Amino acid sequence: MSLALSTLIYEWRRYLAAVIALAFSGLLILAEVGMFVGIGKSFTATIDRSPADIMVTAPHSESLMNGDSSLPRRIMPLLYLDPEVVQVADMAGSGAAFRNFPRPGQKVKQDYVQLMAVDLQPGAVTWPTDYGPDIRQALSAPFSVVLDESALKQLGVRLGDKAILNGHIVRIRGLLHNYANINRPMLILSRDTLTLLQAPDPERSGALMVRIRDPKRAIEVRDQLNVMGKGSFRAWTRNELARANDSALMKEQVIGVMMNFTIVLGVFIGVGITWQTLRGAILANIKEFASLRALGVSVGSLRRIVLELAFWVGVVGLMATAVFVWGVAALGKAGGVPMSFPASYIIGAVLLLMFIALGSGMLSLGILKKSQPADLLR
Amino acid sequence: MSRIALEARGLCKAFKSGRSKVEVLKQVGFEAYHGELSLVMGPSGSGKSTLMACMSGLLRPDEGKVTALGQDLWRLPEGKIDRFRLDHCGFVFQGFNLFPALTALQQVEVVLKYQGVPRSQARERAMRALGEVGMKPRVRQRPSELSGGEKQRVAIARALAKSPQLIFADEPTSALDGENGQVVMKLLHRAAKEHGAAVICVTHDVRLEIYADRVIHLEDGQILESAAVTPSDGAATLIEAS
Repeated sequence: MSLALSTLIYEWRRYLAAVIALAFSGLLILAEVGMFVGIGKSFTATIDRSPADIMVTAPHSESLMNGDSSLPRRIMPLLYLDPEVVQVADMAGSGAAFRNFPRPGQKVKQDYVQLMAVDLQPGAVTWPTDYGPDIRQALSAPFSVVLDESALKQLGVRLGDKAILNGHIVRIRGLLHNYANINRPMLILSRDTLTLLQAPDPERSGALMVRIRDPKRAIEVRDQLNVMGKGSFRAWTRNELARANDSALMKEQVIGVMMNFTIVLGVFIGVGITWQTLRGAILANIKEFASLRALGVSVGSLRRIVLELAFWVGVVGLMATAVFVWGVAALGKAGGVPMSFPASYIIGAVLLLMFIALGSGMLSLGILKKSQPADLLR
Repeated sequence: MSRIALEARGLCKAFKSGRSKVEVLKQVGFEAYHGELSLVMGPSGSGKSTLMACMSGLLRPDEGKVTALGQDLWRLPEGKIDRFRLDHCGFVFQGFNLFPALTALQQVEVVLKYQGVPRSQARERAMRALGEVGMKPRVRQRPSELSGGEKQRVAIARALAKSPQLIFADEPTSALDGENGQVVMKLLHRAAKEHGAAVICVTHDVRLEIYADRVIHLEDGQILESAAVTPSDGAATLIEAS
């Protein structure tokens, strides 16, 4: 085992502040990413968990999050021209005004909710794979809605209650799990009920969900559809669109500014504390470093020891970050705040934390100037 | 006469103290021989440690020349001076300066590693050096588990493992009790006699004179007396008995 690693293990208390600082920097960044991506995911949860292989949006859409991804209705039958396409359905949904019927002593709760329609027939492409038959049964009655159990309190309703949606009375007939949305509660209803609540736009449809004969050929079929559309729409594989949705919220101006601010803050806190901790810990062993200098070990070798130490602090900091983030995500889940951590952001956070650790190590190199072996001769 | 290992001529060193300049070494000349233990003695502030630092390549003198193992030490570039110390010099300090995280064996191995000694050979040499100072049963202990005398023995093993031709010891016994001090001096004496190293030991403890082949008295940055001595019969008996 190297001198740096032995020192880190044996004198872990000295380095604990640096490890904790790194872990909190990582947590700060990842928790924010997790929350925003989680919010985004809760809007697209029904799509992400649908059996659709391909999604079709407006030609210049970058995701389902930003801008208008709707299409002319004539696109839908056009897609059947591809022999591999077996089913096409449009995403139907909108915002709606919700109000509860308060019980005695309860306040009126009014909120703006998101409606999302599903098709009830078995094998429908809009039907999420994790919905059970009870949900199908619940939605089969007109003016029925289901919602995630985490939204009950916010909307002031219970299972079986009536409520007013866009001026129509609806009934809460079922509960979902794992579909929490902290930004805007989501109500799922059948396409027929949606039509009763709100007349569909005869000209335009939402993004299209497409099922193909062989899901393994999603990429090829996507390309075929894009060629066929000649720029009148854009076809994506479902995973491709899910990834675009993940990063879409981050690109929004306010969220982007918040994220950048958090990253800068995380780097400052991380570097500040890690640097000072490393510096202090090295200073505590400065006489030992000086004795190595006396014995002829070069300054370059001592620098490598310090940088290796910083590297290991970074590695341990990453492990601590993983534990912290896992804990926060578990708490979030328990509290109805879904969090999601895309791999690209995790890799980014890992690189950032290692940058903080190694940057702190580099800043600490100056302290080695104090390792003057002549000072040992007194 | 033994072969000369280190020769210093006209060494001068001054330090700034506020606005004034304190001359610590004033034209000091010094010789150390292979197979001999030279004791540099003098009161505090006499310039003993500064002399050792200048002779060992740790502190550049203002004037003068140090010829160590035939090389004009202060004419070498800094990297070469480091390499010279790595290849030829062992140091024993008053404060031991062992890494708290490393075992006795690792303390010795780490220096050999930087010298470029292969791992298996480094372990063998480290074990041998620790065996030589009587620390074989304690090779897995860390400094916190060792007594002061044991720590200094590890430091000596760290110095000896490189098979240095020059060993510099600065007050190696002053943090130890009398008995451990004797053990340390015997080990340094043995390093000179059995390994042919030139051992230069700075101390103000007159009881250690019995181990010296040569005693240099330094006062106010000047050598008052430099004399070759024969270790006393008592010391010889002690050394043989050890």
